[in-house]
Amino acid sequence: MIRDITLGQYYPVDSVLHRMDPRTKLFGTLVFIVSLFLADNLLGYAAATVFLFGAIRLSKVPFPFMVRGLKAILVILLISVSFNLFLTPGRVIFQIGFLKLTWEGVRMAGFMAVRLIYLVIGSSVMTLTTTPNQLTDGLEKSLGFLNKVGVPVHEVSMMMSIALRFIPILVEETDKIMKAQMARGADFESGNLIQKAKSMVPLLVPLFISAFRRATDLAMAMEARCYHGGAGRTKMKPLKYAGRDRSAYGVYAVYMIIIIGTRFI
Amino acid sequence: MSIRAEHLNYIYGAGTVYEQYALRDVNFEIEDGQFIGLIGHTGSGKSTLIQHLNGLLRASSGALYYNGENIYQDGYDMKALRSKVGLVFQYPEHQLFEVDVFSDVCFGPKNQGLGKEEVEERAREALKQVGLEERFWEQSPFELSGGQKRRVAIAGVLAMRPEVLILDEPTAGLDPRGRDEILDEIAQLHRERHMTIILVSHSMEDVARYADRIMVMNHGEKVFDASPKEVFRHYRELEKIGLAAPQITYIVHNLREHGVPIADDITTVEEAKHAILALLEPEGRTSGQV
Amino acid sequence: MGIIRASKLIYDYIRRDEEDHVEEVSRAIDELTLDIRKGDFVAVLGHNGSGKSTFAKQLNGILLPTDGTVWISGMDTRDDSHIWDIRKTAGMVFQNPDNQIIGNIVEEDVGFGPENLGVPTDEIWKRVDESLEAVGMTAYRLKSPNKLSGGQKQRVAIAGIMAMKPECIILDEPTAMLDPNGRREVIATLHELNRREHITVLLITHYMEEAIDADRVIVMDDGRLVMDGTPREVFSRVKELKAYRLDVPQVTELAWELKQAGLELSDGILTMDELMKQLLPVMKKRFPEQVRLEGE
Repeated sequence: MIRDITLGQYYPVDSVLHRMDPRTKLFGTLVFIVSLFLADNLLGYAAATVFLFGAIRLSKVPFPFMVRGLKAILVILLISVSFNLFLTPGRVIFQIGFLKLTWEGVRMAGFMAVRLIYLVIGSSVMTLTTTPNQLTDGLEKSLGFLNKVGVPVHEVSMMMSIALRFIPILVEETDKIMKAQMARGADFESGNLIQKAKSMVPLLVPLFISAFRRATDLAMAMEARCYHGGAGRTKMKPLKYAGRDRSAYGVYAVYMIIIIGTRFI
Repeated sequence: MSIRAEHLNYIYGAGTVYEQYALRDVNFEIEDGQFIGLIGHTGSGKSTLIQHLNGLLRASSGALYYNGENIYQDGYDMKALRSKVGLVFQYPEHQLFEVDVFSDVCFGPKNQGLGKEEVEERAREALKQVGLEERFWEQSPFELSGGQKRRVAIAGVLAMRPEVLILDEPTAGLDPRGRDEILDEIAQLHRERHMTIILVSHSMEDVARYADRIMVMNHGEKVFDASPKEVFRHYRELEKIGLAAPQITYIVHNLREHGVPIADDITTVEEAKHAILALLEPEGRTSGQV
Repeated sequence: MGIIRASKLIYDYIRRDEEDHVEEVSRAIDELTLDIRKGDFVAVLGHNGSGKSTFAKQLNGILLPTDGTVWISGMDTRDDSHIWDIRKTAGMVFQNPDNQIIGNIVEEDVGFGPENLGVPTDEIWKRVDESLEAVGMTAYRLKSPNKLSGGQKQRVAIAGIMAMKPECIILDEPTAMLDPNGRREVIATLHELNRREHITVLLITHYMEEAIDADRVIVMDDGRLVMDGTPREVFSRVKELKAYRLDVPQVTELAWELKQAGLELSDGILTMDELMKQLLPVMKKRFPEQVRLEGE
């Protein structure tokens, strides 16, 4: 049923990575992304590969789930690989018209492909092991320092978490209104672009009204439960670093040293 | 003229682990002009069923005939079907969108491709049928009370002049008088326009009072299909599937268990009152006179 | 002095035009005076638009009086410094179960109130455990609210209020969007909380059956309090109730009709057992051989 769609792509198993503090995972992902851009030779990429596959092993998520995200970037991947392959100057392997395949191009395209693929898999490791809620919590806490410069970090993260709760409800509502208008003879499929856009009015107006009504209701319900922003608020599930998080930060440090080291070899 | 369902099956998530029958081998024939009460607890398949009747959902297998024609055959005009089988969803006021009441009611007939005059004629008629006074017609539907909004939404379907009117819990959220008013108007449509009515309801009392036939759904299957009196006689079986009979049925059965010779098929307050008073009449006078 | 008190409460909805001139004033609550005793289960009946929802919103400071005063546990709702104490004391459950659940997981939603109150983490967990237990939703604590039935969602909402340790719960038509089973679940939960935890319950509804087990029934019409008494007292005035666009349970209606026709029955019969107790002896007189009385 439509309500069963889960946002994000959390894969529920129990693993070290699942239990890890979301901040640790966020930071780890960041470290990994930076390392991909620092690595500039085979050795560096080998280190990144070890790091990534180590994380995948620890996550206990089946490998096919990891590569699912690649589908979405397939086109970008192909375009950037072919650009690099044929438009990089250097020692020519062969040439068709203005397209030159060069040794340097192959090398660049190879690194580029690996970089992109690892980037996607790396972030998948995080989203597969972290619920959207933990992620918002982690972001709120990690970005807490922005509060000092006037960014309402708590409010933004509260909004994200409410959005997560209401998206499935609104999706279902859309389906319902659409059907109700179809029962009154509305046609959402045929016609040209302008007609199609016009036919959306009977869907969008009720949907907006409903979203507004829900928002007003929710604001009232939150106020009735004494919500008054982030100040003075305690947490039912405060984020706390455990031993595994400290070890993880240790691993990150060693990994970064290795990656930087490979640049000098 | 009728609706006939043959071996209707509807499966959610076919081929996945979540596969689930929302309808399982449902068969029935609804004759013209019947008033049907469709009951069942939440998730019993009644909402899924009514969406099949106007082609919003397509059965996984089985056939559905409207006036003898299979609606799943190639080239069947679904849009025409939807104007003949009007469906009023739960909380229908949530689909209102126009700037004023009148234009909103015109939406259906306009989609039928009718001329402006005909469209407006139908809208006027529909608004009168639901008893909404003319002074509200130019107002924004969003400024009306809950009960009035609901009427506008029902008028929006009536304006298509359907032959069959299906209503999914039309009284949800209304106060007692509001409930009675809406149901009385529906009964009037049935009586005066000979419209076939299918009323989905959680209120056994309402169904007992208005319907001449009850279909009971449970886990996607049709488990009862008979007159209210017949169906509510099985009140113990109804309880097993999370339903109940009208309170009156329980009173009558309780009286019978204590030896009172009262008929066992009484379902409304009015009937019970007459039956009890008739029993207490001094002998010699004909029963039923009160 | 009762836990909820209102004195000559008036509330006007004021509609203004674009230039902030008053365009229309409609009186939603009209000189309402009321005193609710701690520990009572009170049902408030009234048709749509009778002002009962507006009244509910007065009771935890979501709306403030135009004139007159509301006290919750002695605190004036217009006193800004007590607003959080008032909201904590008189918790509120709304009609639409979807639009009042904030958390993405049941237990996190229940913890939302205490988090806002700044309750320490350990204490939050304790309260969440207790509240879920009190409404019988412990087994669902890790579920997404989207997967619950309407009745279950309302019980989660009630648990969310219970976790703030209120003295009183105000429910604004909590069963209007539920099916009969969900309604029964919610009402049973409320009676349980009232009995075991001595929570004062103010239940706003237009399902008459939900009022018969209350300690006190209040009827509102046109923003005024028009009837006030025990369920028996209120439900014996069938004609008056119907004039207020309300109804009575079927048993009560049948008993009333029979009494009108001359049968000797008492006023305001509310349950089938009561009706049986009075009707069977009458029947026995007519059919002495056939009819057995209760317990015979």
